[in-house]
Amino acid sequence: MTTAAFPHAYPFRFVDTVAQRPDAAFQGGRVRVRVTGNARASMGEGWQSPLLLAEAIAQAALLLEAGDAAAARRGYLAGIQEMTLERAPRAGETLEIAVRLHASFGPVFRFDGEVHGEDGILARGSVLVRKGEAEVVEP
Amino acid sequence: MSREELAPRVKDLIVRRLKLEIDPASIDDGAPLFGEGLGLDSIDALELVLGLEQEFKIKVEDEEVGVKAFASVNALCDFIEQKKTA
Repeated sequence: MTTAAFPHAYPFRFVDTVAQRPDAAFQGGRVRVRVTGNARASMGEGWQSPLLLAEAIAQAALLLEAGDAAAARRGYLAGIQEMTLERAPRAGETLEIAVRLHASFGPVFRFDGEVHGEDGILARGSVLVRKGEAEVVEP
Repeated sequence: MSREELAPRVKDLIVRRLKLEIDPASIDDGAPLFGEGLGLDSIDALELVLGLEQEFKIKVEDEEVGVKAFASVNALCDFIEQKKTA
């Protein structure tokens, strides 16, 4: 799987590599993403927002659930529940995002996620994602 | 549990889980919950599925079953009663 196929494009792509594919019950899926030393990360924008950590969990969940980047791109973050932030990511840090399926009904999925940094957890929470309705706009 | 006791519990579940700012008693037993009526959507449906599991120990097997069960408060009460007696 090439990084070019992952959901979204830089700088709004929060998945670089799949570290662990989830089992059939969707437990234990993990992805990794490198926080680059670009302006957004180093100037207190972009990654400093807890909303983007929720988006990162959603992108990880959609990619791992779909198993295919094209299908993953048709899903989107639809809600955030119980999100807590310990600290913002640092430029140069590699994050590992762990996700597991909490529940689903039709096209709506609730995933629990944790964002781990190099010295512990950065954020945890649940996100709602919806699949299949967003139009895919090819570049 | 009688229908007279169940319906208020169901309405309370809907209002509490979905954080609606309405009086539970104001929900019409026969009014549609989705679209017209209360105007709930698919995100709300998942929250109701979780609420039924946690508070009534009832699983909604799939979307087809859920769509019927979530048609109205009356339909949801029928669904719960059916599950409890099965």
